Order: sequence, then C-alpha cells, then structure tokens
Amino acid sequence: MTAEPAPGAVDRTIRRVAVFFLLVAAVIVAVAVVAVRNISGARAASDEVNRTHALILELDGIKLGFQSTEGSLRAFAGSGAAGDLRSAREALSELAEHVEVARALARPEAPLLAGVERLAALAGQRAEVARALISARQEGQAAVMATFLGSEEWLGASPAVKIEVGKLMEGLMGQLAARDTAQYLQAQTTRWTVWAGVVLNLLILAGVVWLIRDDHAARIRAARVLEEANRGLEDKVVARTADLAAANTTLQTENLERRWAAQALEHQLRYNQFIVDSISDLVFVLTKSRRISRVNPATIHATGWEPAEIVNRPLSDVVTLTGAAAGADPVPRALAEGHDLRDLPALLQDKHGHCHPVQCTVFPLRDGNKVVGGIVIARLTPDPKVSP
Amino acid sequence: MNKHILIVDDEAEIRDLLAQYLGSAGFRTTTAATPAEAFAVVHRDPPHLVISDLQLEESDGLAMLEKIRVLLPGVPLVLLTGVLFDQEVVDRTLSQKISCYIEKTAPLSRVLSEVRRLTSAP
Repeated sequence: MTAEPAPGAVDRTIRRVAVFFLLVAAVIVAVAVVAVRNISGARAASDEVNRTHALILELDGIKLGFQSTEGSLRAFAGSGAAGDLRSAREALSELAEHVEVARALARPEAPLLAGVERLAALAGQRAEVARALISARQEGQAAVMATFLGSEEWLGASPAVKIEVGKLMEGLMGQLAARDTAQYLQAQTTRWTVWAGVVLNLLILAGVVWLIRDDHAARIRAARVLEEANRGLEDKVVARTADLAAANTTLQTENLERRWAAQALEHQLRYNQFIVDSISDLVFVLTKSRRISRVNPATIHATGWEPAEIVNRPLSDVVTLTGAAAGADPVPRALAEGHDLRDLPALLQDKHGHCHPVQCTVFPLRDGNKVVGGIVIARLTPDPKVSP
Repeated sequence: MNKHILIVDDEAEIRDLLAQYLGSAGFRTTTAATPAEAFAVVHRDPPHLVISDLQLEESDGLAMLEKIRVLLPGVPLVLLTGVLFDQEVVDRTLSQKISCYIEKTAPLSRVLSEVRRLTSAP
C-alpha cells in the first residue's frame, strides 16, 4: 500500500526547498557581482600601473632630454657645425615631446601634474636659453654665449630637473607599491569571496539534502502509520462484518422460526376446521347467551341457511326442544353449571319453515375452567317432516 | 462432509422452511413431496436422517417410514405432524417405528436439536 503525505506537508517541503535554492542563487549572484567588480577594479588598477610606468619612462626621458640638449648645445656652441645644430634641435624637440606626454599622463593627478608643470617650466627656460644661445653662436657673439652658458638658468636647470624628477619618481614608486598591495588584497578578497560562496552553497545544498532526507523519513513514517491505521480499520471491518453476518443469521433464523410458527398455527387451524367440517351431524357453536356463532357445512346443507344468515341468531330460532324438555329449557342451566345434556328430542326448522326431528346433545364449551359457550350436536332422525 | 437430511412433506412451504433452516445449520438437505420422490432419493443418495409428515397426499407417512427403515436400517426416522398424539400412544406405538416424534407446533430449534442428536452432528 502506498501512503500519500498530507498536502500541507508537501507544500511545506517544496517551500523550504525553494527557499534553499533561492539562497543558493543569491550566493551565486553575490559571488559573481563581487568577482566581476574585483576584475573591473583589477583592470583599472592595471591601467593605472601602466600609466605610472609610462610616466616614469617619460620622466626619465625628460631627465635625459635635459642632459642631451645640454650636451648638443655645448657642442654646437663650440663647433657651430650644422650637424650639431640639428642634433641640438632634435634634442630640444624630444624634450618638449617628453614634457607633453608626461603632462598628459599626469593630468588625472594634480600633485603629479604640478611636478610635471615645474619640469615643463624648466624645459621652457631651456628652450629659450637654447634659442638665444643658437642665435648668439650664429651671430658670432662669443661673450653672449659665455654669459648664457654661465647663467643660473643654464647651470641650475639639470640639478633642479634631477631633484624634481627624483621627487616625482619617488611618489610614483610609492603609488606603484600601494597599487601592488591593493591588487594583492583585491585578488585575495576575490579568492575568499569565491571560496566562501562555494562553501556556503555546499552547506545550503547539504541542508537541502538533509531536508529531503527528513521529508522522505517523514513520508515513510506517515505511510507506516497509515498502514497500521488501515490494518486496524480492516480488522474492525472484518469484526463488524462478522457481527453483521451473525446478526443476519440470527435474524434469518428468527424469521424462519416466525414463518414456521405461523404455518404451524395455520395448519392447526385448518386441521381443526377439517375435523369440524368432516362431521356429518349438525354442529352449532353457541355463545354464552345461546346465540349461534359458528356452524358446520352439514348444518348449512340441512337448513338451507347461509352462514351469514344463521350466525348470531338465537339457537331457539333454529332448534326447539320437544318432549319433557319442552317446558323448561334445560340448556341455560346446563351451560351455567357446565354439564352435558344428551339425546334431547327436538325439531330443526329450516330456511323454508319446514321442521325436521333431531336428537340434540349439548356440551359446555370450556376455556380452561371457565364455560364460555356451548356446542350443540343435532342428529337428524328418519321421521317425516313436521310443520311447526 | 455434511450430513444429508431427507425432508418429506406434501406442503411446499414446510419443506422449504425446514430445508432453509437445516441448510443454514450446516446440513445438506433434499426435499420430496411424495413417497415416490422420497424413495427415489433414498436409492440415489441415501440420507443420514429422514423427516416426514404423517399425512401425505398419496400415502401415510408412517407407512413410508416403515419401508424406508427396511431399506436403510439404522437411519434415524423423524415423524413431524400436526396431529397431536397422546404421549402414551407415542410411547406404545410410534416409538417402535420411528426414532423421534415432533409436533409441527414445536419450534424449529427443537427440530434442529433432535436432528443434531440423532445424527450426532455438532
């Protein structure tokens, strides 16, 4: 037999499983969001590192550019050769290019940009001094050239550039170190987030397994309980059926007994009727007041009366005592005292008024010790008919 | 195996009532309305006990039982009748010819107890 759990229990289990799966989904989404955010952060950090490295290269380029312009201008100032002039101009151009690239790279950070602007100002001074120096050399003004080469702007530029580039480099290296630390921490956070999500999901799934197992056990218990209840019910049904079968048997037996008693009574009555009807003498059954209550077929035949016509008539309407008993009717006394009267001469009057001589015998009709009526048996004698 | 009871009566209702009652008590019953039918049953399927009415349409039940006694000596014979006999008559006359006399006014339970007694059925 398969037992079905209660509908409420099924709904509760489904709800719980659904909640667990929602939790799993939420954890997965949370881990995914955190991981994607960390990946985006890592990419941004990587861009920053690249920019920082590029800025460091440009700062190196600026520092070298100052050295290169200084060398090439000194060479031009000494030789005045066109090749040296071209080298000096190329060095100045590269310096300006490095300054512009560094300015663009430093623009997102104001302190860096300020440092780069200071370098740009130095580069601008170098360019002005270079133009003046080139002009003085081309015009052959040696004194002016010596003035420029001995000026503070010329001599102090390289140390100032070194100092400024050193400061900026130090700051950038610090930023790189900080970004390395942040990237490491971000990677660690991502790892921890992913593993924590995996562990949490495994715990939730274990909870789902436990819940399903618990529900399965509950279903088995419910099935057993139901099975036992059904067994008990079946036993009760069997017992009740047996009771009903026994009651039915008893009822059938009682019914048969009643039918048997009824047929026995009917048989007895019919048999008694046969006995009375089979008597050829005339039989009158009287009430206590000597009225006719029943007659046999021989009486109907001899008198011509129908039963309905003769019943309830006084006996004296049909039978009249003659002889010694004619004067004082002895029948009432005999019935009252409960003794027989035998062979009394009498006349039987039929429906047509003809009289027939009969001999009557009277018996008291007893019900236990009590006389409840009488029976008169009249036997026709062969004498001819006599008119009353 | 169920004991076989032969019921002989010219009244169908009596035959049916007895057959139903004894059948529900675990007996196998066969009914016959006339002595000829009863003798046919006796030859074909000898009963363990015979119940017969006294007054049959074609014959006297007592005479039929005497003949069955010759055919099946030792088989209990029960006379069931509405004619009421004095105990003295029963003791002197009927007891020599039959195993038991039961009035039809007696309850069916009495019939059953006599049948069980005579067939030694539980």
